[in-house]
Amino acid sequence: MDTCIEKIRAIARDLLEKGTVEKVLGFADGTIPMATSPIAITSKEDVDKLTFTSTCGLNLANYASKEKGKIAVIAKGCDSRNLVTHIVENQVQRDNLYIIGVPCTGMVDKVKVASAIEGEISGFEEDGDTLKVTSSLQTLTVDKNDVLKDNCRYCTHRNPVLYDELASDLVEEQELDNPFPDVDAIEALDPEAKWQHFQDLTQNCIRCYACRNACPLCYCPTCFVDESGPQWVGKGQNKTDVDTFHFLRAFHCAGRCTDCGACVEACPMGINVRDFTRKLNKDALDMFGWEAGLDITKRPPLDAYSPEDPNDFIK
Amino acid sequence: MKMKFITIDKKDWAKGIDKSRETYQLFGPVKDENGCRIDALGADVQPDMNYTDSVLSAKSVLFPQSEKILTTSLDESVEDHHIMKRADTDYTPRAVIGIRPYDAKAVLLVKMNFDTKDYRDPYWCDAYEATTFVGLGINRPGPFDFSTSTGSGPFNEDGLDILLADMDDKFLAKVLTSKGEAFAASCGFDVEADAKESQVLLDVLKKEAESNITAAVETDKLAGKTILDLHEAPFWDDISFSCINCGTCTYVCPTCWCFDIQDENKQKASTRFRNWDSCMAPLFTRHATGHNPRGEKTQRVRQRFMHKLKYFLDKYEEGIMCVGCGRCVKSCPVNIDIREVAKTMNGYEKQE
Amino acid sequence: MGNLLEHMGIEKDRVHFSWISSAEATKFVDVVREISEKVKALGPNTKFVKDYN
Repeated sequence: MDTCIEKIRAIARDLLEKGTVEKVLGFADGTIPMATSPIAITSKEDVDKLTFTSTCGLNLANYASKEKGKIAVIAKGCDSRNLVTHIVENQVQRDNLYIIGVPCTGMVDKVKVASAIEGEISGFEEDGDTLKVTSSLQTLTVDKNDVLKDNCRYCTHRNPVLYDELASDLVEEQELDNPFPDVDAIEALDPEAKWQHFQDLTQNCIRCYACRNACPLCYCPTCFVDESGPQWVGKGQNKTDVDTFHFLRAFHCAGRCTDCGACVEACPMGINVRDFTRKLNKDALDMFGWEAGLDITKRPPLDAYSPEDPNDFIK
Repeated sequence: MKMKFITIDKKDWAKGIDKSRETYQLFGPVKDENGCRIDALGADVQPDMNYTDSVLSAKSVLFPQSEKILTTSLDESVEDHHIMKRADTDYTPRAVIGIRPYDAKAVLLVKMNFDTKDYRDPYWCDAYEATTFVGLGINRPGPFDFSTSTGSGPFNEDGLDILLADMDDKFLAKVLTSKGEAFAASCGFDVEADAKESQVLLDVLKKEAESNITAAVETDKLAGKTILDLHEAPFWDDISFSCINCGTCTYVCPTCWCFDIQDENKQKASTRFRNWDSCMAPLFTRHATGHNPRGEKTQRVRQRFMHKLKYFLDKYEEGIMCVGCGRCVKSCPVNIDIREVAKTMNGYEKQE
Repeated sequence: MGNLLEHMGIEKDRVHFSWISSAEATKFVDVVREISEKVKALGPNTKFVKDYN
């Protein structure tokens, strides 16, 4: 994915020069190893700040829907699906978006890399699929495919589904016999074990809401946890309140989640909140044959009624 | 009090810690699969003295994320109904083992807020008075540590009752206060070391550790600028663009202390809680009228950095409200870096 | 939602869904009886219960 940086910059320069867009939303190099920071470029002199590496795990669709005026957005496969969802849900107009599609071979899981090396990471370099990680105590060479983010491992939509221009050639999509082995693993447990799994999962949650705020789907002006008249959920650290937040947020994203992994990327405590949403994604596929954000003309299943909707769970 | 130095052979360490449990509730670094946190130490859990840094700071020892402060009964047949009384919190002596010097300095900064001449916060202050801080110097500061720029440092003694230095097979302990003395006694650590020699050793370690710190924050010109100039500066929109307004920076920060008061009732029992709150939250400044003076993200991001790097500096003249632990830099999902912001603010000259 | 609750470990028989019109009084009685029996058979629920201390 190295060569696409130059192409991205060239496209951005061109768009800003011609005034086709007012801003280009992309990523800039971070101030610490393995970090990138979302950035809005408004003048063509600044396009060299744009970068694209395997550490760009956040979803820029999150920012796109908050912009008024015409903008360009860098979109990986999952991000482009979220942009489709935004268009379907009237959060953004198709005409206001110039989508720079970037076919993606996966993002790196920073926690996996950090646990593979001893000492704090002080350097990170990428050359194709080979990663060189340095710390004060060692230097390690890692194959990117061994430290991919979980959502990238199971990704079947690496190529953007909607775009105005591509920054690199399309990549081969993965063929997976079972795209949900993690959900199956939990389903195989008995109820007590399942409960314990989810209790352990959220025990370090500090209610910072980074997951919610990084998620492009969470755009409610007032989130249900912030409501106070009536108050649905307590704001303290009571376990039931914490569980309720995660459970209900996942459900609000049911049938809309593209598994972009921004939630896990943002979480400072390293919680895999995808365990909640993955089950719903699997159900959407099994029960409705639905994957979010693939078709700009269709509304999500929980938003549309059809007499063929499965209803064997209703008495 | 004459400074006393104690040598603690690491073979005796665990036993001594366990002995101190007769007098103190212990807190310290505990590692799990998600990293390290400062937590209450269970009866058979030793503090992890080899930890590099904890994701969350030690502030939760004095300022829990969710704290019961008052309770009352709503049952009108009960004599004291509807009269709020202070909740039963355990203020028996506590000790935080292995707290980093920057976290201890942060406690002193937070104290300026909770213990003023006009008001003393009873919950925080009672917890503070019950706590002994046994600090652990950082031999190898990590890449996020910029404590020397903020008036702290890897072997800084502010706020500590004991400063420990890890010397491979032993700890060298510098007892700084009478509270520290009491703690050492409760562990049974009594092998005194020569004061002069020990101070020299500590100074060597301190110098070496400080030379390892590469990160820096420039703040020398902040005091000289006016609040209005900085407030109206044009760079806030750029800085705040990527911010997602979660609470991560405020929650991991040892000097952030904003909170929200909430009542939770169940049938006839009512409890008032104090929960951590974050100025990053969109509803943080929402008034009862519905007006929100910081309804825009840029306003909130600007407020956070102005508070930390300017308002606090001007109000107390004790330096900035940051101890350089680097947790916010490490944990921010979008890599907003307080060091960069400080540099921008410090170097800003208003264009006439 | 029922599936996600079950995935989290809430027993399947604790949560039930039914379409009942206000004109279907008999159905309402039958469904309520059935659900009450099924839930009682599971015993008190310990999950997602908020303790207030």
